Order: sequence, then structure tokens, then C-alpha cells
Amino acid sequence: MSDLHDVEELAPTPGQRVKAAMAAKDVRVTIVFGIIITAFFVFIGLWFYPKFMPEVMSENMKRGKDVIVYFTVISAPIAGIVIAMALYTLFDRHKGDTPPPEAANFRGHTPIIFSWTIVSAIFCIIAIVWGLTEMNVNAEANATNAKTALTVEVTGSQWVWTFNYPELGVQSQNLNLPLDRPVIFRVTSVDVNHSFWPVQLGVKVDANDKVTTLARTTPNKLGHIEVKCAELCGLYHAYMETTGEVMAPADFNQWVTSLGGHTA
Amino acid sequence: MTTLEHAKVEGSRPNPPKSLITKLHMGTGMIVGIIFAEAMYFWGKSMWDVEVPMEENRILTLSMFAWCIGFLIGIGAFIGPFRWLIGKDLTDEEQLFLAGKGQGVSRYFRYCTDHKVVGIQYLVGVMVMLGAGGTMAMMIRTNLITPGSKWVNAEIYNSLVGLHGITMIVAMIIVSTGPFGNFILPIMIGARDMAFPRLNALSWWLLFTAIPVLCSAWFYGGIPTGWTAYAPLSVQAGPGMNAFIVTIIIFAISSAVAGANITTTVVAMRAKGMKWNRVPIFVIGATMSVALAVPAFPTFMLSQIMAAFDRTIGTHFFDANFGGSGWLYAHLFWIMGHPEVYVILIPGVAILMEVAPVFARSPLFSYTTAVVGFAGIVGLSVLVWAHHMYISGWMPTLNGPFMVTTELISIPTGLIFLVLLGTIWRGRPWMKLPMLGVYALLWNFLIGGITGIYLSDVPADDYLHGSMFVTAHFHYTLMGAALTGAIAGLAYWFPKMTGRMLDERPGYISFWLVQIGFQVLFLGMFAAGSQGQPRRVADYEQKFAISDLISSIGAYMVGIGMIVLLYAVVHSWRKGKIAPMNPWGAKTLEWTVPYPIYLENFHEAPIVTGDFYGYGKSEK
Repeated sequence: MSDLHDVEELAPTPGQRVKAAMAAKDVRVTIVFGIIITAFFVFIGLWFYPKFMPEVMSENMKRGKDVIVYFTVISAPIAGIVIAMALYTLFDRHKGDTPPPEAANFRGHTPIIFSWTIVSAIFCIIAIVWGLTEMNVNAEANATNAKTALTVEVTGSQWVWTFNYPELGVQSQNLNLPLDRPVIFRVTSVDVNHSFWPVQLGVKVDANDKVTTLARTTPNKLGHIEVKCAELCGLYHAYMETTGEVMAPADFNQWVTSLGGHTA
Repeated sequence: MTTLEHAKVEGSRPNPPKSLITKLHMGTGMIVGIIFAEAMYFWGKSMWDVEVPMEENRILTLSMFAWCIGFLIGIGAFIGPFRWLIGKDLTDEEQLFLAGKGQGVSRYFRYCTDHKVVGIQYLVGVMVMLGAGGTMAMMIRTNLITPGSKWVNAEIYNSLVGLHGITMIVAMIIVSTGPFGNFILPIMIGARDMAFPRLNALSWWLLFTAIPVLCSAWFYGGIPTGWTAYAPLSVQAGPGMNAFIVTIIIFAISSAVAGANITTTVVAMRAKGMKWNRVPIFVIGATMSVALAVPAFPTFMLSQIMAAFDRTIGTHFFDANFGGSGWLYAHLFWIMGHPEVYVILIPGVAILMEVAPVFARSPLFSYTTAVVGFAGIVGLSVLVWAHHMYISGWMPTLNGPFMVTTELISIPTGLIFLVLLGTIWRGRPWMKLPMLGVYALLWNFLIGGITGIYLSDVPADDYLHGSMFVTAHFHYTLMGAALTGAIAGLAYWFPKMTGRMLDERPGYISFWLVQIGFQVLFLGMFAAGSQGQPRRVADYEQKFAISDLISSIGAYMVGIGMIVLLYAVVHSWRKGKIAPMNPWGAKTLEWTVPYPIYLENFHEAPIVTGDFYGYGKSEK
């Protein structure tokens, strides 16, 4: 008997604790739920957002889209555990007008609090490192592309976008760009704040009066671009939009020439 | 009326003191306010030309301030301070009169210093504001039901967006700390009243003066700027913008007064034995929220004062042509703007942390973790404002650091989930209305939190910034989490505030309509945002049509649900079942006082010997 008594006095090791927890029915059911819900959110991430997001026409757009898709997948287990735990408690509801019986006196559990904090910190660090890496990739691409880039001066005014190609001597209301050539948007405004948003290119930058802000990208797919304003700019903000085209270089040169510009 | 019963118990009406104070009420305030405003308007017109926009702005802004000051003089807010100037103070009878002793319903229309009266005033005020803001939301969604809809024109649409935004933001800032922070919080900590009862009345009546000012924006052509009121658009805007500016300045003063008051009350007036680790978690949450508002709102006020100067006397704070900068405005705004979302969120979550132990009959899971979670959010929230400006171009190299601080907030936020989950885990939840809010919050705040992580990531934000995705995200946090918490708080404390139970059937119907409609509404909006629909647009292309239609259907469900809730509240307040003293079997101090609550709350000052979460079978 005394031997058994001694064993009980010893604090259980973390391994034993996990084993004991897994033996409980509620924990096992919750884990099964959690896995199902995680799978659901993974599905949402891989299916829902890609289905809705517009065509990817640049590396920037791809990186933005990847973040949304993969962050959903990464956070799926978190959603899984939270929802599964909440759902499980709903199996044994109490009804009526008198309070339910007292539950266990469970005021905290230091190992759980610590591991929860550490796991959420790991998720947080993954998100931070991912974001910083992508920003760095963007910045490096911009630096290498700077020399060959085509400059487009974008001017927002209430409620029209104007595109000026200073190297080509052309001005247009449509944003046409050559395929696979880096482009620098030099964005400004002549009145209130606007926000220049060529949707399929995945970049966005505010247009402010007397200031030039920069956005850089490289269109890598032929197709149609929508240009919108993403900052409320007064009466016809909703209609401050135009279109454009990513063209094969030859077509682009032809377009420039047709407007009386010179091809670079 | 329950208020009349209250008056009966308070004893027969004592002889009112012979004093000017007894003659003043809301009506005299309005009369003096209107006289002041009219006098200022005509004086202004004699000085300046109302046809010149800048001079018109000057006249209108001054008139609106004159209304506010006139109202406060008319309701008697300055009688006490004026007496101090001549070396006197209010007499004891006058003070008792101000506290509403034996006055029945009329004290709700006076400059009443009783915290319970102020709490009810806030509750009704918040409900009116939420009703107005909700109506505007319904109009917005009605206009967006199909592409090309011309139900309202672009000018009215933009005003709807802006005024819906600012009405809801103001309402949400006070939705928990106003009614419950004033009515319940002092009783919860065992205090006889707030630390500064007259300031308490001042904070409510200041807010009250701002409501007609904000409504007047409609009569001056609305605001074209959205609730963010970015300069230079706000400087260019028509006369309706003056109303916005005056509202914000008044509101900032009101919230500073209320914040100083609640903070001081909690620091200085807790019951004997209520050490910091025994303070109820709602009190901690409300205090952190208002303490965060105290440094945050002055920058908003400052930004509006500068905008007012630009508009009325021709300064150039935000005019780039003369060396000003719109970025200056954006910074001032968001230095307030991001702490502000946590000012809204924390009390709502804290209410549910108060609710969860009572209805799961288990102690709050790790009180310390809850406090650390709140403190972490409060601390980080002042370091993240520029994530609203990633794509503004002001300083792209700082996007990285701001992304880091923003994403770090996910750690304390995770602790809050842990506390709620740990509390309900292995309990038998008592599915009353307040408890439903806990589950709704877990789901909504999860979605709101995760989508917040996408938005905090710079490459994703390059795409999503300024889209409907952002709108859906912050509605999930502010409405799905904070408003859910506030409604749960209303259901939880309704018996204590009105003496009657909130009718459950319409309550449940409302809960399910609102929550299901909410998911439909904002999941549709996430889809529209992912597709690339900008926010705040009066019109959109065909390809967003299905997402927007779904959103509008969800919006109507929420609208109907809220009307049902309003019915439940009004009906129960008048004819509901009389509530027992402690219908939920809760342990906090507010449930130890009978309704109607004695003027100074407690006949005997309570003494606290432990914390309030001693639920559960066996105490070790």
C-alpha cells in the first residue's frame, strides 16, 4: 500500500498528463470535431477565396492572393479548436429557470495557458515572417527592375484617372501596358485624396495633392485591367474607374504610335 | 412604469429647496440653447457674408457651439461651478435634489447626478443612436441591392455612408461603458455613486447636445467624406461638415469627462477588501477601455479643430498647396482610430467574461490571463495606427514594423479566446439570452480576428485595402463581437436596471435573426471584397451583383431582428415579469441590492472577502 501511496504523491509527467487528458471522452470528441472543422476551413481557404478573386496578372497580385489562401489554411486549426470546444459544450445544455448544477472548480491551468500562448506566438511569428519575406521579395524585384521600368504618371482628379507616359510622349484615359515589362506608377492628385487601384495587378497607392507616391509591378499576363478608386473622394467616387489592357509589346507599340507617341 | 414605483419607494417628495436648480430641466436647456444658437447666427450674419463658404462655415460652427453651451447653461450644468467662483457651493438640499431624491420620472430629464439615472439616459440614448444608424444601414443596403440602382443619388448615398459610420462609431463607443459602466459598475465595486457625480451628468448631457448637431448635418447637405472625414476632402466639403466637426469635438470632451470619472471611481472607490485581483472582470475591461480613450480621443478632437480652422478662417493645416498635408490628418485620425476599435471591443468582451462564469457555473478561467490579455491589447493598440496607411505612401519602409506590431496583437487576443473557452469548457451552459452571446462572440470574433490578420499583412492589404473586405472585417469585430457583448449585457442586467425580466421569446427570435442575418450579410460582403468591390460606392458592376444581393438580404434579416429586440425591450420594460433580486444566481455585488435600488445603492457598505467567481463544486 505504501508504494502505491508514493506513486500518487509524485507529480505526473507532461506525457502522463497528455495521456490522461486523451483518455477523457470530451477531449477525444472535441479533437475529432476540431479536425473536421479544420478541414472545412482549409477547403474554404483553397476554394472560396480563389474562386472569388480576380485574375492574377502580376507577381504582386499572386503574393497577395497567396497570403489570403495560405493564412486561411494556417489559421484553420485555430478555428477548428475554438469552434470544436464551443460546440462540444453545447451537447449538454441546461434549460429551465433555475441555474444549472455547479461545474468543476477549474480556475486555471498553467501548462495549458503557457502552451496556448506559445502556440499562438508561433502562428503569429509565421504570419510576421511570411509577410516580411514577401515584402522583401517585392522590394528586391523593384530594385532590379528599376532600370528597365516604364514610367506611367497617374493623376487622379475628381472623378477621372489620367495616364501620362512621359518616355513615350503619350497621354490616355486608359491604362495600357506592355507584357512583362516592369512599370513604375508615379501617382499624384490635383485635388483631394484618391487611391489608384489597378485591380488585377494587385498594387494600390494613394494619390495625394502635391505629392508623388510610387507603386511598382510587372504585368505578366495578357488581358483586361480594371482601374478603380479605393479612397472615398466625393460625389462620383463610385464612378471613378477606367479600364486598360496588358498587351503584347508589338501591340503596345502600335497603340503608342497611333496616339502620336514614339516607341522607346 | 417601474420608474414610478422606484419613486414611491424612495419616499414622499421632500420639500424642494428654493433654488433656481429646481426650475431647470431639458426643456429650459433646449430653449436657452436655441436662443443662444439663433443669437449667434444673427450676430454672425451681421458680421460676415453667409454666401461665402468660409464665412458660412464660421457662422454655422459658432452657432452650433452656442447651442451646446446654451443648452448646458439652460439645464443648469454651470450653477455649481459658478457658485465656486463666488466662493460657495450647492447646499445639501440642492445636492439631494440633483441626485434625484423623490422626483420620479422627471429626474430623467434633469441634470441628474445619480449614476443610475445617467445609466438609463445612456441606454435610451444609445438605443436611439443605434436605431438611427441601423436605419441608415438599411438604406445603404437597399441602394446596393442591384447594380445601377438609383434609389438614392450619389450625394445622399455618400452622406448615408458617412453618417451611418459616425453615428454607429459614437454609439458603439458608449454602448457598454455608457449604460452599464454608469449604472452597474459603481454598484459592482460597492460604491455609493461615481467619483464625480456632476461630471457624470455633464458627460451625458454633453453627448446629448451633440445628437441634434449631428442630425443637422442632413439639413446642411450631408457629409461627403465617410466617417473618417479625410482632409482635404473634408475641407472642400459643404456646410454639413461643420456639424460633423462640432459633434466630434463635443463627443471628445464628453468621453474624456466620462473616462476620467470611471477611471477615478474604480481606482478610488472600491469596497473595502476589493483588492485589484478581486475586481470583477467587466470593471477591469471597462476601466481599460475608458482609460485608453482618454489619451486617444484628444488627437481626434485636435484633427477636427484643425479641420475647422482650415474651413472657417483659412488656415492650411491640410492644404498641400500651402505646405499642409493630408497625411497629418490621417495620422491624427488613426492615432485615435485604432485604439478606438479596442475602446469599443474590450467592454463588450468583458461583459461576456462576466456572463460566462455565471451561466456555465464555473469560475472564470484564469482571471490573470484575462487581465494580461486586455492589458496586452491596450498596450499594443497605441503602436499600430499606421496599418491603416500602408498604401498611403507616406513611409513605405515603416510598413514592416507596423505589420509586426499589428500581428503581435493576435497573441493577447488569443488569450481572450482561451479565457472564454476555458470558462465554458466542462460546464453545463445555461442557454439564457446572455449566454448565447458568448457563443456568438466566439464565432464572430474568430472570423473578424482571422480576416484581420490578412489585412495586417502588407502584400494582402495592397489588394484588399479600401475594399468591401475591410468593411466586412470590421463589422465582424465591432458588431459581431462588441455589439453582441453589449446586447448580452442588456439581457443580463435588464432585471437590475428595470426590475423586470427581458422577455425571452422575442429575445431568442431576435438573437437568431440578427446572428444568421449577420453571417449572410457579411459573408456576402467578404465575397464582394475578394472580387474587388471598393467600399463606399453608390454603384457597382454586374459581376458583384450576386454577392451584394446576398448581403442585402442578410441586412434585412438583421434589421427585422433588431426591431424584434426593440419590441422585446420596450414591452418587457413596461409589462415584463417582475424580476427576483438575483435571477441568474450571480455572485457580484450588484445582485445583492434589491430593486428599486436605494439612492446610494447600499444601506451598509459591503465588505469583500474573495473574488466573485467562486462557482464550482469544490473549493480546495
